[in-house]
Amino acid sequence: MKKRILAIFLVLGMMLTLLAGCGGKKATGPEKRKEANEITVCLPQDLDNSLDPHKSVAAGTEEVMFNVFEGLVKPTSDGDLVPAVASDVRVENGGLTYVFTLRQGVKFHNGDTVDMQDVLFSIGRCAGLDGSDPLIPALSVISDMKAEGDVLTITLTQPNLEFLAYMTLEIIPADYDKQDTEPVGTGPFKFVSRKAQDSIVLERFDDYWGTPAKLDKVTLKIIEKDESRIQGLQSGALDMVFHMTSTQAMQLSEKDFHVEEGSMNLVQALYLNNAVKPFDDVRVRQALCYAVDKQGIIDLAFDGYGTPLGTSMFPSFAKYYDESLTDYYPHDVAKARELLTQAGYPDGFEMTITVPSNYQQHVDTAQVIADQLREVGITAKLVPVEWATWLDEVYKKSEFESTITGLTSDNMTARKLLERFDTQSSKNFTKYSDAAYDELFAKAISAADDAEQVEIYRQMERNLTENAANVYIQDMADLVAMRNGLEGLTFYPLYALDLSALYWDN
Amino acid sequence: MKYALKRILTLLLTMLLVSFLTFAAFELISGDPAQTILGTEATPELLAALREEMGLNRPFLTRYISWLAGFFSGNLGISYRYRIPVWELIAPKLEVTFWMCVVSFVLITVISIPLAVWSYRFVGGPLDFVRTAFNQLCMAVPTFFVGILMSWLFGIVLRLFVPGDFPDLHTDFGAALGHLFFAAVCLSIPRIAMTVRMMRSTVIGEMQKAYVRTAISRGNDRRAVLERHVLKNSLTSAVTFLGQTMAELVGGSVVVEQVFGIPGLGRLLVASISTRDYPVVEALVVILAFWVVLAGTVADLVNQQIDPRLRLGGDA
Repeated sequence: MKKRILAIFLVLGMMLTLLAGCGGKKATGPEKRKEANEITVCLPQDLDNSLDPHKSVAAGTEEVMFNVFEGLVKPTSDGDLVPAVASDVRVENGGLTYVFTLRQGVKFHNGDTVDMQDVLFSIGRCAGLDGSDPLIPALSVISDMKAEGDVLTITLTQPNLEFLAYMTLEIIPADYDKQDTEPVGTGPFKFVSRKAQDSIVLERFDDYWGTPAKLDKVTLKIIEKDESRIQGLQSGALDMVFHMTSTQAMQLSEKDFHVEEGSMNLVQALYLNNAVKPFDDVRVRQALCYAVDKQGIIDLAFDGYGTPLGTSMFPSFAKYYDESLTDYYPHDVAKARELLTQAGYPDGFEMTITVPSNYQQHVDTAQVIADQLREVGITAKLVPVEWATWLDEVYKKSEFESTITGLTSDNMTARKLLERFDTQSSKNFTKYSDAAYDELFAKAISAADDAEQVEIYRQMERNLTENAANVYIQDMADLVAMRNGLEGLTFYPLYALDLSALYWDN
Repeated sequence: MKYALKRILTLLLTMLLVSFLTFAAFELISGDPAQTILGTEATPELLAALREEMGLNRPFLTRYISWLAGFFSGNLGISYRYRIPVWELIAPKLEVTFWMCVVSFVLITVISIPLAVWSYRFVGGPLDFVRTAFNQLCMAVPTFFVGILMSWLFGIVLRLFVPGDFPDLHTDFGAALGHLFFAAVCLSIPRIAMTVRMMRSTVIGEMQKAYVRTAISRGNDRRAVLERHVLKNSLTSAVTFLGQTMAELVGGSVVVEQVFGIPGLGRLLVASISTRDYPVVEALVVILAFWVVLAGTVADLVNQQIDPRLRLGGDA
C-alpha cells in the first residue's frame, strides 16, 4: 500500500516536470533575435586556451577573434591590406623601412585611446624585443623601431617585402593584464563573455573608428556533433553554421535557409615522411601522385565540392597560385605501377596513413585514398589518432609514414605555406630536404622587389610538385548555411569569419 | 560509528588511488598539454617556455604531491585550457549533470520496478518471447541514434524543447528540467531494460523458494504474495544494481550531452582528456570516484532499511 502511494507520487512528480518543461519554455526564436538585431552562430569546437591574441594560435580561435582585434593594417576580403590602427603606411628603401602614421582617436574596448605606447608594446611583445622569446619568429627581422609623435618607423635587418603582412598583428593596451580571459582590442566587436564549452558572446563596439558593425550582438554557440547543428538550425536555436559538410547542407530546406560556398583556404594533402623508406625515393612519391585521383576524392567524399591542388598553395592567394601545377600528375594507374617497378616495388608495398580522428573530412579522404592505392598494389592501413596524439607524434616528432591534414596560413604571405619545407625549418614535419629548394627560399626572402619574389615563390611551388614532396589533394570547400533573411557574408582568403558585415534583411 | 568510519576510509582510499592512477596514465600516453595548446604554430622555443611555465618539467611525484597538497587545501588548480580555476569551470556543469541524474534515476526507478513485477505474469507464456526481444532491443540500440531520433521528434516536430538551446538552470529551472527530461529518457532506456531483466530473474528465483510455496498453499493470493513478500526480498539486488547504474550514469552521459547540447560533466571530461587538461581531468576523476562510492553507500544504507538481516550487529 505504502509503495503504491510512493509510486503514484513519483509518477506525478515526473509528469509535473514534463509539464513544467512544456509550459516554461521561452526559447529565443529567430523572430526575437531579428527584432533584437542579434544572431546565434554555431562554433564547431570551443575556442582553444587563452584568448590573448598573441598567444592563441588555433585557427578556430583566430577566425572568431578576427572581429575583436586589429593591427596597424588589416586584410580585406580581396586579399589586400588596408590601414586600420594606422592611418597611413609607407614602404621605403625597397622594403627596408616601413613608416606608419597612427590613426587619431582609435579607441580600445575598455574606453582608452590607442597611443604609440600601446603600438610599441604590442609589436615589441611579438618580436621579443625585450629579450624574451619572440612570439612571432618572422619578426626577428626588425632591427629598429623609432617613434616620433604619431609616426612609427620600423627598420629591418634586410629588405623584406612581406613584412607588411605581419603587421596585421593585434594591437592591445600596454597596461591591461586580463587578455587571457577578457580580451580587449580595437575591432568592430567587443568581447562580452565566455562560458566554457558552451558559448562566447560578442557585442558591437559603438566607438569603432571605421564602419560600425550592423548587428548588435553575436552569440557563438559551441556544438560538437554534426547532426545537432542541423537540428539547431531547424529548431530555431541557430542562425548560421559554417564549415558544413555537403551532406548536411543538402538536408536543409530552401524555404528557410540558403547555403553560401567559399573555400577553407587550406592545403589538404597526403603528407609523406620524406625521411622514411620508401618515401625517400622520389619515384615512389611520384607513383603515389599518379595513383591518387584528386577529383575522385572530391566527388566521393565531398559531393563534388572542393578545388583540386597540385602544390602547397591555394587559389585565394591569386598572385602566387600556379594553376598549371594542378594536373602535373594526372590520374594514371599504369604510370604509377611503372614507377613503382622502377623503384623496386613491382608488387607494391604496405604503408600506414595516420589520421587525426577528430577531423572527419580527413578520415573520409584517407578511406578513399586507401581504396585508390589498392589499384596499384599498395596496401594502406588507416591509423586514427586523437588530435593531441597527432600533434605530438606526427607534427612534433615526425613519427609517421604518411598522414592527411590541412595546412593553413594565418596571414597573407606565401611564405607561411612554403617555409615549412625548408630543410632548416623547425616546422618541417615532412622532413622534405632539397638543396635547390633551400636556395630558392633564401633568395625569396631577400628579394628586391615584389615581382621577383612572386616569381621565386612560384618556382618553389614547382619544385615541390616536380619532386612530389607530398600528394597534394585539394582546397576544401567551406559551406556556410544561413537562415533566410541573414545576409552580408563575405569570404576571406584567410581563416577569418567577418561578422561586421552581416545583417538581417527585412 | 565504526561503519561510518570504514566508509569514509574507503572513500579516501578510492579517491587517492584513482587520482594517482590517472596521473600515471597521463605519463604513459602520448600528448603534451603545451603542444596541444600551441598547436601547429609551436616552435621548439615557445614549447620549452610554456612547459616551464606550466611546471611540466618537474618529476612525476613532485607534480602529484603538489596537486595532492592543493587538493586538500581546497585548491583544485587552474585549467590549462580555459585559464580559470577548475572549480569555477566544473561547478555549473556539476549542477546540470546532477539534475540529469536525478531525473534519470526517478525515471529508471519508477518504470523498471513496476515493469519487472508486471512482466512476471508473462513468464512461460507466448508473450514472454516478445517481451524478451523488446528488452534486448532496448539494451542494444545505440544511445546516439535514439538521441538524434528523440531530438528530432520531440524537438523539431513536436516542438516540446529547443535542440541546441539549453536554458540556464538558474533563470528558468522548469524549462531546463524539461530539456533534461528528454536526455534523461535516452539515458534511461537501456538502463531500464537492464534493471527489468535483472529484477525479473530475481523475482522468478524468489517465487520458486519454499516460503512462497508455503504461503500459496496456505491460501494466500499469488499476487499478494508477489507484492508483499517477494518484491521486498528482490529489492535488495535491485537497489544495489540501481546504485551501480547511478554511478556509471555520470560518465556514460557524454553522447547524450553532445546530442542534446547539455553543458554537463561528461562532455567536459572527454574534451579535457583530449586536450590533456590535467587539472580538470584529475578533479573530475576524483569527483566521479566520490560519486561512485557515495552511490554504493546509499544503496547499502537503503538495503539495510529494507532488509533487517543486512543491518550490522543486528539479528533478523
